[in-house]
Parts: sequence; C-alpha cells; structure tokens
Amino acid sequence: MSPALPTTAAFVREHLRAPLTLALLIAIPVFFVLIFASVLGDFAGALGGTLARRSATAISAGWAAAFLAGTLAFFQVTSARGADRRLALAGVGATSVAAARIAAALTLGLLVSAIAYLTLWLRSGIEHPLHAAVAIASFAAIYIGIGALTGALVRTPLEGSLLVVLVFAVDVFSGPQMTSNGLLGYTPTRHAAELLVAAGGGQTSPSADWLGVGAVAAGALGCALLAFWLAARRRS
Amino acid sequence: MSDRALTATAMALRDQRRRPLVLILLIVVPAYVITRSVAETLPTPRRIGLPDGVWVTTTMRDLHGAGMGGFAIAFVLALVGVFVMQSALQGDRRLVVAGFRPTETVMARLVVLVAAAALVVAVSALVTALNYTPKSWPPMLAAMVLLGLIYGSIGALAGAVLDKLAATYLILFAVMTDIGVVQNPMFHSAPGNGAALLPGYAPARVMYEGAFSASFHATGELLISLAWLVVLATAVVLVLRRAVAASG
Repeated sequence: MSPALPTTAAFVREHLRAPLTLALLIAIPVFFVLIFASVLGDFAGALGGTLARRSATAISAGWAAAFLAGTLAFFQVTSARGADRRLALAGVGATSVAAARIAAALTLGLLVSAIAYLTLWLRSGIEHPLHAAVAIASFAAIYIGIGALTGALVRTPLEGSLLVVLVFAVDVFSGPQMTSNGLLGYTPTRHAAELLVAAGGGQTSPSADWLGVGAVAAGALGCALLAFWLAARRRS
Repeated sequence: MSDRALTATAMALRDQRRRPLVLILLIVVPAYVITRSVAETLPTPRRIGLPDGVWVTTTMRDLHGAGMGGFAIAFVLALVGVFVMQSALQGDRRLVVAGFRPTETVMARLVVLVAAAALVVAVSALVTALNYTPKSWPPMLAAMVLLGLIYGSIGALAGAVLDKLAATYLILFAVMTDIGVVQNPMFHSAPGNGAALLPGYAPARVMYEGAFSASFHATGELLISLAWLVVLATAVVLVLRRAVAASG
C-alpha cells in the first residue's frame, strides 16, 4: 500500500480530532446557506447586480465551501512545515507527503461542499443538481489552491487568515451579477460562480464556463500541491 | 505599571511591528471592504427604524457607508483577538515560569489588542469619511470602538479556548451573521426577534443612530454596549490569566 494513503487518513484525523472543529465544519455550511441565501438576493440587487433569488441561494453554497476550504488549506500548510519535513525525511518522501496533504484537503473540502450542497437542495431545490455539485466542489478546490498558496508565502496565522479574507472579499464583490462593473469581474471563481448561478436558475452553461472552471480548479490544485511539496521538502 | 509589565508590553508590540504585513493588512482589508462596498452599491431608497422609534428614508448606498466600517472593524479585530491570544498561550507561559505575574503578561497582550483596535478604527473612520458623511460623528466613532473591542474580546476568548482553525471559523461566522445580516438594516428595516440577544445589537444601533440622526437617543444601547464590553473584557482577563498561569 502506498504510504500516501495512511498518511492522508492521519491528516484528515488531525483536523477532525477536535470535536468542535468537526461540528463547525458541518454546522457552518448549513447555517451559511440558510441565513445568507435569504438575504443575498437583496444584497445583489443593492450592489447593482441582477442575481435572482434562486441563483443567490445557490451561490451562498459555493461561498461557504470556498471560505471553509481556503482557511483549512492555509492552516494545513502553516501547521505542516515542521511535521511534514520530518515525515518526508523518515522515508515517506516529500511528494507522497504533499499528495497526502492535498488528498486530505480535498476530502475535507468535498465534505464541506457536500454539506452545503445538501442544505441547498433541501432548502430550495436545485434545477441542475450535477452542474451545481461540480460548481460547489470547484469553489472548494479553487480555494484550497488560494489557501495553500497563501500558506506557502505567509507563515503567521494572522496575516494568512487576513489575506484569505481579503481574497474572499474581492471575490464576493467581483462575482458575476454582484457587480455592475464588468472590468472588475474577473476573479478565480468567476467560471464556477457562472456555473452555479446558471444551475440555480435552471439554465445550462456554455462550454467556455466548463473549460474555464476545469482549468482554474486544476491550476489551483497544482499550486496547492506545489505549496505542500515546498513545505515538506528537505532543506540543505 | 511595573518595569516587568512595561517590558512585556514593549516586547508584545515589537513582535507585531516586526511583521509589517500585519500592519499593511490591518489598513488594506477595512479600507478595501468599505470603499468597494460603497462604490458598488446603488442609491436604492430604503426606510429604516432608529432607536428612538423614528423612521428615516435613506438609500442602500448610505446604509453601506454607515455600516461597513463597523462590520470591517469587528471582522478584523476578532481575528486579531484570536491570534494575539494564541501567541500569548505559546509564549507567555514561559514568561510566567521566568517570574512574571500572569496579570502582567495578560495586560501586555491587551495593550496590543487595543493598539490594533485604535489603528483599525482610525483607518475605517477615515475611509468612511471619504465615502459617506454621517449626521453625527461622536456616536459613530463610539460605536466603531465598541464593536472593535467587543469583537476583539470575543476573538480573544475564542483564541484562548479553541484551536486556531475552530476559532477562526467560529469568529468569522459570528461576525458575518451578527453584524453582516441580523443587525444590518439593508436586510431588516428594524432589528428582528432575538437580535437584541447578540453582542452586535447595541453598538450597531448606536452606529446607525449616529449615521442617520443629528440628536442622540440611544443611551440605553450605549450602556448595553458598555456592559457587554466590561463582561467580555473581564472574561478575557480571567481566562487568559488562568491559561498562562497553568504552566504545569
């Protein structure tokens, strides 16, 4: 058996062994979707966007998955440095450690996405369930990249969490239909948000959005893998 | 203040000063959130209720101008509270073992939190002034300070009793729900049932009173805010003093 598999399980357990963290990972997406879905339509209208209430409900699930996954990935990288280097030196290897880290981040990101998705489905139904599931999971994957990259560049938790918050704020204000200014509209989750808004409103999405979300999510996960590998590699 | 307390305070402040990115983000995050939210919001008419029962008609843009400063301050200072206390738990136990009194190390960390609050409130007030003119500044400024210290204390408590991931999740969710939604007149023309139970209720009412009324009728809300602050600050001192003293 590859050493990456038990290491992945250990990394997932590392984050879930505190009962409150597990409870928050489950509760926050539920409350985020329930509370914010009811007000995001008004918010989008106030910002000059055209987000319909049902699409606004859908986008709240993406934002919940994004924020939780991004913060988690940031703390994974910052807490990984010392332990992961020792693990790599002990024979697991930096690449296996990085693969295990990204698998753990994706497992937790998909858990959060699934909870947000189920809440959304139970609250208001989803016109295109498969499209919405892919879009919400993409939000999580993209923010795993953003969080891990932040963790690679910034070592201390206050700066890192403020940076993730700043990126998240830019993303929220620049998302599709949330702004009347098209020049400010390109953000990493642009295509994922377009997919999710369309899925929530019962519309299909153009292939450019599918290609775009695939490329950005793959790029983000590549960045995350690099960040985890840099944290685990041997220093001379 | 004893020499030891002064030394601990100077070291705690130096620890923050050594990391210029913290200072940059404490300025950039509230400045961006306030400026962008006001710039993007349409002047759609909105009728809201103030603490003395008076109803005023304003716009969504002015509501963002009046409220986003408080939201950004609460958000940023709650995070500062979490991580200042996490740092304290890591380093201050050693200071206590070396002979410092727990209260001296706790006071040093609180000075850092208050200094961060002063910076974030000053930036937020300045950026708010560039985007929006309230009817009366003193209640606005008082509410900003109270929101910052109340949520900074809540962040500090979360940082003292939870691990950093759980504390961050809890704090950000609490600020978004309390200040961002429940107390926000963009979504509720007057606070709904249960809003008064949350820590953001009273300072938010003082803030909107200052924003939209030239005379002050929110004395009760101001006193409730001060009571929240006293209770939370006392809890922070007690919890942190106990945590740094438990070196065994």
